[in-house]
Parts: sequence; structure tokens; C-alpha cells
Amino acid sequence: MRRTDGELILFWTLPAIAIIWVSAFFLFPGFLHPMSPTLSADAVAEFYRDETARIRYSMILFNWFGVGLIPTVMLLAMQVRRMAHRTPILSYSLIGCAGGPPCLFLIANMFWLLGSFRPERSPELTRLLNDFAWVTFTVLVPYLIAQCLILALAIYWDRQEQPVFKTWVAHFNLLVAAALAPAAFGALTFSGPFAWDGLLSFWGKNIAIAAWIVVMGFVLGQTILRRREEEPVAA
Amino acid sequence: MTNLEENSSTEQAERKPVRFVPGQPDMWVFVLFESLLFTGYFSVYLIGRIQNRDLYLQSQADLDLRFGIFNTIALLLSSWAIARCVQASREGAYRDALRDAFLTIGFGAAFLVSKVIEWVNEIRLGNTFTSNEFFEHFFFLTSIHLLHLLIGFVVMGVAVYQLWSPARRSQQLVETCATYWHTVDFLWVLIFALLYVVR
Amino acid sequence: MSVPTGSPVARFVWNFRHHPKRELWFAWWVMVIFYQLYGVLFFLVTRVQPPPSPAWDTPAVVQWFSERHHGLLAGFGIVFLISGMCAPMNALLAYSMRRMSVSRIFGYSYLVMYALSAIPGMLVMAIAMTVGALRPDRDPEMIHWLYDFAFLSFSGTMGVFMIGSLVWLVAILIDNNRVFPKWFGYLGLCNALTEVVVAPAWIFQRGVFAWNGAIAWWINMVVFVTYTACFIVLLRKMVEREDFGTGPLPDLPSKATRSQRDSVGALQ
Repeated sequence: MRRTDGELILFWTLPAIAIIWVSAFFLFPGFLHPMSPTLSADAVAEFYRDETARIRYSMILFNWFGVGLIPTVMLLAMQVRRMAHRTPILSYSLIGCAGGPPCLFLIANMFWLLGSFRPERSPELTRLLNDFAWVTFTVLVPYLIAQCLILALAIYWDRQEQPVFKTWVAHFNLLVAAALAPAAFGALTFSGPFAWDGLLSFWGKNIAIAAWIVVMGFVLGQTILRRREEEPVAA
Repeated sequence: MTNLEENSSTEQAERKPVRFVPGQPDMWVFVLFESLLFTGYFSVYLIGRIQNRDLYLQSQADLDLRFGIFNTIALLLSSWAIARCVQASREGAYRDALRDAFLTIGFGAAFLVSKVIEWVNEIRLGNTFTSNEFFEHFFFLTSIHLLHLLIGFVVMGVAVYQLWSPARRSQQLVETCATYWHTVDFLWVLIFALLYVVR
Repeated sequence: MSVPTGSPVARFVWNFRHHPKRELWFAWWVMVIFYQLYGVLFFLVTRVQPPPSPAWDTPAVVQWFSERHHGLLAGFGIVFLISGMCAPMNALLAYSMRRMSVSRIFGYSYLVMYALSAIPGMLVMAIAMTVGALRPDRDPEMIHWLYDFAFLSFSGTMGVFMIGSLVWLVAILIDNNRVFPKWFGYLGLCNALTEVVVAPAWIFQRGVFAWNGAIAWWINMVVFVTYTACFIVLLRKMVEREDFGTGPLPDLPSKATRSQRDSVGALQ
């Protein structure tokens, strides 16, 4: 009987977190359809007044589980550590990226919650808070992009008999990085695909993140289970 | 050491610091850089003073010269003590060296206490960091110097640690610490001259 | 496998695939490119550096924003794209501490500190400036507040860098593997002190200690640039000297023998 080291427990947090996040995503009234940056201050204030409950509860849920993906990123970093590299530089880089996205997301989260705390506030102030939330949420991609690129590089450089991840995983990560890139420019326009409610900056980015979670979840799960079968019972 | 091939090069590297300077040559890089930095700060002060002569003169009158003199003497004595410490350590008289090192720390502590008292006095007179331009510079320069002094206590800690046990006692390290302490003293003399004396 | 000759592209591809130190060179080049981009983006594209004055009145601030409207949005857009480049850079520095004879804790501490440092120290400013430039018709008082928020968060959150510098410099000073020269440890002390010197930016709206002041910005910049230039060069030397052992890092051989060793990088 293999001694419990918790690795599988941590792995199974991934689908749990994914379900919670998706639920919160649908609960928040501002994601479907995404709020437009062209809304007037009064319209924004009205939104926060009318939908106060849904905003608060969805964002509290996000707040609780904002860092939920970190064990998964750490599991990935462990896999990178097992690759045929000479130095731990790439796993260090992954660890260095891990804290960024939740930190930025939590800042956005706080601004949405602040906006809904006193909905009777001046509309201009509420719109400012809303701007902060949306801009932060949209542009939080740099560490995600870096994560994908570093993973891809790690996989390309993993030259051994049985590489930890197959090459297509690297290609997939490159694709995700490309899909996330437009969102960095989400504050440049108020309409069109690059705007924070647009096809690229909102749908492209969030679907890419969802796809990454699902695909990497499967790949990670396969790898961990395979390793546990291969390794002899731990002393 | 490590592998034999590297032995000769590491030996050479250890022999390399020909004794132009006492202690690690690296510390002198720090001394040079900090001196340049403080020169920059002093220049900014002097430019401000030229533009605002009356304000500076008037504010300077609030400074108690006795504190300045006491501080200078305390640090000069501490420098003398650390110099004796280095001398004793060179001769192998480690008990004396340790005593001198503690003397150094003692004088430094006297400086620290009197500086804090002086600050409290100035604040009671109504002169704070934000009062006027002169006191901006006064509190800034004395604070950053005090920070160097506090680091100096850590450095002296290293020196005492080295001198304590026969297993250590690296002469180079003790001299490096002494170099740092002399720098702290040197910077204070400049600050004293600039802030207290030049009127 | 011998070093290839031929076009730079062919050499680059070979190095990418086979160079024994490619991970280290990857991290080093990411660092160099990041700093170049950082300089260009902050000084030339967004023109937020050298910083404007905190003493300006609201109309002047609004004017400043409108002059830079496109530069701010586009420039910080690029910042939001590339900030992840900090990670390999921090990884290389953490690795340098791993190579030292000191505890692994130094490297891990540094990695975590600097991993989070970019958020208050750079990204918050980028976000505040972006929100400030987003709606030029916003209430001017709010724009002025965003201006303060951006510059104060940029200049005033130096504590992370200060403590990080201290961790690195202590590691360097007690290291027996000679990964870095001791003078660089002492220079780190100078750098850490300048992070302290910038703190009065929170207190003063004008004068030499304001966020654009002679002491809090200009002199600090000189120290920062010097320090950064030094560690870029020293890290390069470290990668060149690296022998993947655990003992003291060997010195570089003389130039004559060095050209026969494996190639230093693709673009040499």
C-alpha cells in the first residue's frame, strides 16, 4: 500500500476549483454578457445597484478560491523538475510566475467588491472602481503567458527516452499564450475585439484559460498516475 | 580545497591581493561608492543652501553645537579604538583586540544615544523632517548616517565574532570591518562640518 | 558534437538544441532583453520616466495625461504582455544563490520576494496609469488621484527590493564558492540603502525628496543603473564560469583558451 503523500489529493483540487470558478463566473452578472467599457457612469452605478447581491456573492466565491490553482501549478513545476534539464531554472521560473495571476485577479476582485459595497456612491466613483476591476482583470495575462511559454520550452528541451509530457502539450501551450496575448491590450479601445468585452480580450482569453485548465488537468493527471504505477512502493 | 587542477589558480587568487590596502580590497569599492553618493547628497545640500541662504542660516542657529562636538569626539574615539584593535590583532594580542572592539562599539552607542536625544530636542523645538528645507537635509543626512552606524554595529559584531575564537581570527576580515567603521566616522566629520560648522 | 560554424541562425538553432548551458543563457538573455524593453517602454514610449512633479496642479496633470494618451495605453499594453519575463530573470538569481555554499533558503526567499515585487512595484503603476488615461473626460480630481497613485506606488514600494537586495548580499558575503566578488555584495548594500532613501517620496510634494527629486529619483537612478549593469555583467560571467559542481566556481581561463571552449551564446 503506497504511503499517502497527498499528491493525488492536491491534484483532485483542480476539477473542484474549476467547477467553483465556472459557477462563480456564471453567477457574476457582468460576465455574460461582458459589461461594456462604453457604459456611462450612471449606467454603471445602476448595474451595481440592481445586481448588488449577485456581484457580491460571486466575487466572494472568487475571493475564497482565487489561489485555488496554485497547487496545480506547483504540481506542474514538479513535473518540470523531473525533466531532463541540467538546472532547475525552468522550474524556478514557473514557481516565480505562479503567484502573479491570483494576486492580480484578487486585486480586480477587490475592486468589484468595493464597487458593490456602497452602491449609492457617486456614479463617477463607482465607474472608476469598475474601470480598475475590468482593466486589472483583462490585463492580468503576463504571468499566464510566461507560464505557457516556459512550459513549452521545458517540454521542447526535455530530451529523454520517455519525456514527461508529449510534444503536443508544448504546442498547445504556445497556442494558449498566443490566445492570451491580445488581452494585454484590452484597455486600448472601447469597442471591437480588443476591448475588454471584445472577442479577443474577453472570450479569447477566458476560453483559453479554461481550455488550459482542462487540458493540463488531464495531462497532469495522466502523468501523475503513470508515475505512481511505475515507481515501486515508496519506503 | 577542491580539485587539483584548480588548486594552483585558487592559490594564486588567494595570494593575489597584494597588500596595497588593508582588509578586503572589495570594501574599498564600497567606500569609494558611498563617498561618491554622499558627495552627491552634499552637493544637493549646498545648492539648496546657496539658493536659500537666510533660511539655512536661521535654521542652523537652532542646532546645538555641543551635540555636534560630542558626536564628533565620540566617533573619533571609536575610530581610535578600532585602530588599536587592528594593531593588537596584528600582534596576536587578541584579548586586547577584543577589548578595543568593545570600546569601539561603546563609543558608537554613545553617539547613537546622543543623536536620538538631539533629535528629540529639535522636535521639541518644533523642527521636524518636514519643517523646512534645512531640516529636511539635516534629518535626512543624520538619519542615513545613523543607518550606516547601525550597520556598523553589525559589522563590529562580525569583527568580535572573528576575534573571539582561535578557530577564526581572519586578519583580513577584521581590517575590512575597521575600514567600514572608519568610513562611518569620516562621513560624520563631513556632515558635522557641513551642517553644524559652516555658517 | 562540435560547435557549428555558419550563419548566425544556424548557430542559434544548434545552441538552442544542444548547448549545455542553454537554460542559463536563456534566462540571462531574457533578463537583458527585459531591461532594454523596460527602458524603452518607460522612458520613450509611455514617457513616465523621468517622472513629472507631484507639485503640479490638477489642470497640469490632466494636460500631462492627454499629451501621453496613446503612449500610455500602448506602452503599458506591451508591459502587460511582457512582464512575465521577470520570472526567468529571478530564477537565474535564485540559481546563483543555489550555486553558492549557503543554505537553499536564500535562493527560495529571493525567488518569492521578487516574484511578488513586480506587482506593487510596476504593474500597479501600469494599471493606475492605464485607468488614468482610459477616460480623458473623467473628473480631473480623480485623474489627479490616479497620477499620485501611479507614481507613489512605483517609487514608494521599494521595501521588497531592499529586503531582496539584503538577502542576496548576505548570501554573497558569506559564500565560499566565490560565485560573485565581494565588492558586488557591498554594492548591494549601497543599492539597498537607496531604496530607503526613496521613502520620503511619500512625505514630500516638492523638493529633493519628492518622487521626482534630485535625491529620491536622480541620484537613486544612478545607483540603480550602476547596480543593474554590474549584476548583468557578473551573471554573464557566472554562467560562463559555471561547471555544474558544488565547489568554488572556477575562474575564467585566459582568452586564448576560451575561444576553444563551447560557444558562449548564439549571437557571438
